[in-house]
Amino acid sequence: MFKMPIQERTNWQELAEEFGFQFHTLYGERYWDERSYYQFSLEQIENDLEQPTEDIHQMCLAIVDKVLKSEELLKRFCIPEKYWDFIHSSWKNGDPSLYSRLDFAYDGKSPAKLYENNADTPTSVYETGFWQWLWLENHVDAGTLPRGADQFNALQEKLVNRFNDLQTLTPDRLLHFACCEGSTEDRGTVQYLEDCAKAAGLSTAFVHIEEIGVSDTQQFTDIHDQQITWMFKLYPWEFMFEEEFGSYLTHNNLRWLEPPWKSILSNKGLLPMLWKEFKGHPNLLPAFFEDELHLASDIPSLVKKPLFSREGANISIIQNGQETTASHGPYGEEGFIYQATHPLPKFGENHTLIGSWLVDDEAAGISIREDSGPITQDMSRYLPHIIV
Amino acid sequence: MKKTKDIQLNHLRKKQPLKPIKRLSLAIAALSLAACSQKQEDVVFVNSPEQCASDTNLSLEDCTIAYKKALEEAEKTAPKYRSRGECEIDFGDERCQRTSSGSFMPFMAGFMVSQLMSSAMQSGRYHGSYSPGFHYRNYYSSDRNKIMTSNGHVIGKPGQKNYRVSKAALKPKPKTLTTVKRGGFGSTAAAKSNWGGGRSSGGWGG
Repeated sequence: MFKMPIQERTNWQELAEEFGFQFHTLYGERYWDERSYYQFSLEQIENDLEQPTEDIHQMCLAIVDKVLKSEELLKRFCIPEKYWDFIHSSWKNGDPSLYSRLDFAYDGKSPAKLYENNADTPTSVYETGFWQWLWLENHVDAGTLPRGADQFNALQEKLVNRFNDLQTLTPDRLLHFACCEGSTEDRGTVQYLEDCAKAAGLSTAFVHIEEIGVSDTQQFTDIHDQQITWMFKLYPWEFMFEEEFGSYLTHNNLRWLEPPWKSILSNKGLLPMLWKEFKGHPNLLPAFFEDELHLASDIPSLVKKPLFSREGANISIIQNGQETTASHGPYGEEGFIYQATHPLPKFGENHTLIGSWLVDDEAAGISIREDSGPITQDMSRYLPHIIV
Repeated sequence: MKKTKDIQLNHLRKKQPLKPIKRLSLAIAALSLAACSQKQEDVVFVNSPEQCASDTNLSLEDCTIAYKKALEEAEKTAPKYRSRGECEIDFGDERCQRTSSGSFMPFMAGFMVSQLMSSAMQSGRYHGSYSPGFHYRNYYSSDRNKIMTSNGHVIGKPGQKNYRVSKAALKPKPKTLTTVKRGGFGSTAAAKSNWGGGRSSGGWGG
């Protein structure tokens, strides 16, 4: 694994325009950065990332089962009691999932370490499944990268196939896609997934989260008053549980992507649970709930993460009992977990994080984010990669 | 190979290329035409059992069943309005009716009969949609004076017998309901985005 500089494609901004990639630059800063790429060997990809990703996913599913069977654990995860049955039945019924992203610290040499599981609302799927694929295609066509260069990225192919399967499992339903108003990035992400669903032959529609309505019969409706019977929502379950319409969730015959049981996996309580159940696994970092910190007395530095949080918000680092705030944000009122500090590897001046994608339970590709600071946040740059 | 083998760039293109590549343009045009024709279907649009029997292969008996089913489907899937006035803005004066739940919906203008539907009905094995159409008349819309499906697929200008429609226009439509309130989701995101100056472009994914 190493980082290589490369010429930018002269027309990449025109291509971005043509393919509707509207968030390559955020707040005037580069988000998509093709001035360099990362190169991996096939062994690094297959042994160090692909296999561990599928293994950890299976371990995570075992945790879902365990948590859903224990009131004590559901409380620890701060899941509101009125949704326990709702989540449990989605698990018992085997409600299918679409995708997830596991975040790893990996340096090309030592085992990849799991930072967290973005199981409910993973983003950067467009940049990964399509845009970095097109970057490689263009460079190979131009002769600026070798013809044999590959990429760990079957994401789009697997998503289309998965939508195809989901249609078989959910016949004759229109699939509504939803995200919040006012975010170009979320709108682009959801549009891409809708394009993949259409490529699989599904009937689709779009509605903003804020526009969702409730009918006189207490069913959810879109802006055209059509009943919503199947929905992909790029909106966290833990938000929906707290909001006014949450109370309608439990008596609706609606299929969800991601399904309600994913709320257990996107919860940071997953991390101490994984460590308890699979202690010493080479891809896991020691992690603890707040009341178990005595078990962490021999760990010199801990990262404190809110149970519910997105994009690296509200993280602090505890070293020798001293807490330093590392990133700000709006999360944390539900409590925290603690994970052994394992800094991201540095390539040049930057800290590098690997996102490893799953479609259903198959590893599907990777994405790479870089930041000048040690915590990857929503402004961290996206870089492409190749396998040679 | 660890990557997606092939991506149909046309499916993801949101705008025409700024500088079309001449060498490829013919081949691409031929491909996309072929792709289009596969996704379209010829239908006959009829407004009564009698017209159905004279314009399609179906018997009057089958046509009467189809007409009834189309009316039922219209009641379930047509756009619903809280007042007659709102409905008439979209569909014209005296062209809306009260539904059993008290809302208002347009009268059905007719229904589509596809080749697939008529042969399946003849063998008694049809389980698909009966595809009602409505005559849209909103003065301010570019789709004014078009026949549309209940979810807004344009069938064409009224007055023709045959239409070519996308296959999606023939698929079953979701039920429409009377929405009594909106805005019950999204408040958490709104509250969190006020934190620290707000975010205009970032999202709630991770």
